[in-house]
Amino acid sequence: MILGNTVGLAWRSLVRNKLRSFFMMLGVIIGVAALTTLASVGEATQQETLRQFKRMVGTFDTLTVRPGASATRGMPSLSVVEPTLKFEDGAAVAAVPGVRRVARVQQVFDLDVIYRDRSTTPGLFGASTEWADIRGETVTAGEHLTEEDERSLARVVVIGEDVRTSLFPDEDPLGKIVRIADVPFEVKGVLASNGVGPGGSSLDNMVVIPVTTASKRLFNREYLTNLIVQVEDPEQSDTVAERVRAVLRERHRLAESAPDDFNIGSPRASVAQVTAVGTTLGRVMNGVAWIATLIGGVMIMALMLVGVSERRREIGVRRAVGATRGDIRLQFVVETAVIAGVGGLLGILLGIGGATVAALLQKLPPAYLWSSIGMAAVLSVVIGLLFGLLPAWRAAQVDPIEALRS
Amino acid sequence: MIETRQLSRIYRRGDGTPVTALRDITLSIADNEFVVVRGSSGSGKSSLLNILGCLDTPSAGQYLLAGEDVSGYSEEQRSKVRSRRIGFVFQSFNLLPRTTAVENVEMPALYSDSPVDRQRAMSLLERVGLGARAHHFVSELSGGEQQRVAIARALMNGPPLLLADEPTGNLDSTVGNSIMQLLTELNAEGQTIVLVTHDEHTASFARREIVIRDGMVASDGPQDQSRRDA
Repeated sequence: MILGNTVGLAWRSLVRNKLRSFFMMLGVIIGVAALTTLASVGEATQQETLRQFKRMVGTFDTLTVRPGASATRGMPSLSVVEPTLKFEDGAAVAAVPGVRRVARVQQVFDLDVIYRDRSTTPGLFGASTEWADIRGETVTAGEHLTEEDERSLARVVVIGEDVRTSLFPDEDPLGKIVRIADVPFEVKGVLASNGVGPGGSSLDNMVVIPVTTASKRLFNREYLTNLIVQVEDPEQSDTVAERVRAVLRERHRLAESAPDDFNIGSPRASVAQVTAVGTTLGRVMNGVAWIATLIGGVMIMALMLVGVSERRREIGVRRAVGATRGDIRLQFVVETAVIAGVGGLLGILLGIGGATVAALLQKLPPAYLWSSIGMAAVLSVVIGLLFGLLPAWRAAQVDPIEALRS
Repeated sequence: MIETRQLSRIYRRGDGTPVTALRDITLSIADNEFVVVRGSSGSGKSSLLNILGCLDTPSAGQYLLAGEDVSGYSEEQRSKVRSRRIGFVFQSFNLLPRTTAVENVEMPALYSDSPVDRQRAMSLLERVGLGARAHHFVSELSGGEQQRVAIARALMNGPPLLLADEPTGNLDSTVGNSIMQLLTELNAEGQTIVLVTHDEHTASFARREIVIRDGMVASDGPQDQSRRDA
C-alpha cells in the first residue's frame, strides 16, 4: 500500500469525524500551544534583555577591562577598585592589532551634583572622548566633550536626561554652572535618553566629564575603573582579548605564574550569563507543557483503541479485500500521526497567538522561537507515531472472520 | 478455478475438545461457473466459504485456487491472494460508513499493486446501475443500492472469483431478485461466482448446486430447471 494513499485515507477519516478528531487532538493542541507560547514568551523576554543590555553598553563589539583579579558584578566605582589599571595602559591597548579604539574611564557613584538649591546623585563618568563614540551617545542640546577639553583639563560636563530634569526642570541647562565635589563645572551638553537598563534602573542618571579633569581636578587618582575596548571585528573579540591580556601582563610585569591583576569581560558573555539563568518557574511550566503533550498522546491512544473496537468491521472488510496486517497497522499508525500532527499544528497556531497576546500585554515586541516551534511540531508527530503503535497493533490483530460475522 | 481435495477443518473448543466443521470436501469448480453452496445454519458452509475465500486455512487437505495451492499459505500470502483473485460480497454489505460509493469501490485497489483507478471504479458503478450515485455517501443509499456498490467493489481488482455470502439475506425479495439478476448477468459475462446461501429461492438462480450437510457434501449437481422457474 502506498504511503500517500494512507495519509489521504487518514486525512479523510479526520475530516469526516471532526468532533471525534478534535477531542483526540485536544491534549496535543493544549500541550503544544503551551510549549510554543512559553518558548516564544521566553524568547521575547530574552530579546528585550539583550536590547536593554545593548542600550546600557552601547555596542556588542566591545571588551571591558577592569582592574582586579576577579570579575566584579555591576559597575565598579573609583573608590573601591584596585589601582592597577593606568592611563598609559589605555594607550597601549589602543595600539593592539584588531582594536579600533579605547575609552579610558574613571567612574564614581556617590558624588552630589548641585545647581543652586537643587541637588542629585548621578553616576559620574570621567571619560575620554572615545566613550561617546563607542556607546553611540548623542546629545540633544549643546555638544560632546572634545579632545581639547581633555587636554586643557576643562571643567565642563555633559549631563544625562535625568540630571537635566532634576536640576533644570524649567530652564536651559547649557552654560549653567553646577558644582561637583565643590568644583564648578559648566554644562556643555545634554545626552539623549537611553531609557531603562537590565533590572529596570534608568540609564540617564549620569554626568560625563573629561577623564583628565576627573583624574587631576576631582579625585587625584592616576588609575582607571575601566577601559572600554572596541574591536574591529566582533567575531574576533576573543582573539583580541587574548592580545590585550598579553600586552597588559607585560606592562604590569606579571611573572609567568602570577594571576592577572585585571580582568577582561565582554557584554556578549555577560548577556549569555544573564539569559542562561532562566527562571525556575519557566522550567516548571515547560515541564508541565511537555507532560500535557504526553497526556495528549495518551488520550489519542485511548480514543484510537476505542476506535479500533468500533471499527472491527471496517478492519475485517479491508482485510477481506486484500489488506495485509501490515497495511492495517500502517493505516492506524498514520492516522494517529496525522491526528497528532494536525493537533500539533493547531497547537502551534494557538501558541503563536498566545505568545503574541502575552507580548502585547507585556508591551514587548513579540518574538517567536522557531526552533522550539519546529521541535513542538516534530514532537507531536513523534507522539502520534509512538502512541499509535499499540492501537495499530491491536487493529492488525483483528481476525477478519470474527469481524465479518454478522 | 477451484479444486479441493479432502478438505477438512477442525476447530478446538475452549476446553480443547475438537469440533469437525468440514470433513473430506472434494470438489471442483470450473471457470465461468455459477455455483450455489447451500446448507442450513451449522452445516459448515461458512467454514467452507472462509477457506475458499482464503480467510481461513484447512486443517487437512488441499485447496487449489486457479491452479495455485494456497492450503499452506501464511496470513500475508493469503491477503495477497484475496487481493488478486477474490471479490467478496457480504450479507450486510459491509460498506465503510461516512464514505462515498465510489470511494468504497476504489478501496480494494489501495491494497493491490496497481494504482487507484477512479475511472475503473466509475465504470463499475455504471455497470451495476449506480453511475449517478457515485458521490453519494453510503448512508444515503438504499439497501439494494448498497449491495450493488458492494458488488462493484468486489469487482474492482478484477478477481477471477466472486464469493457471495447470503447477498440477498438483508434485502426484500424484489430487491433480492434484482441483485440475483445482476449476478446472473455478471456470470453470463464470464465471471465465476460461488454463492453461499441457506435459501432455496436464491439458490435457484445458479446453474449448479452443492448442498452441504454436517460438514460434508450431501449433493452436487445441476439445478433442476423446473424449480428455478417456480
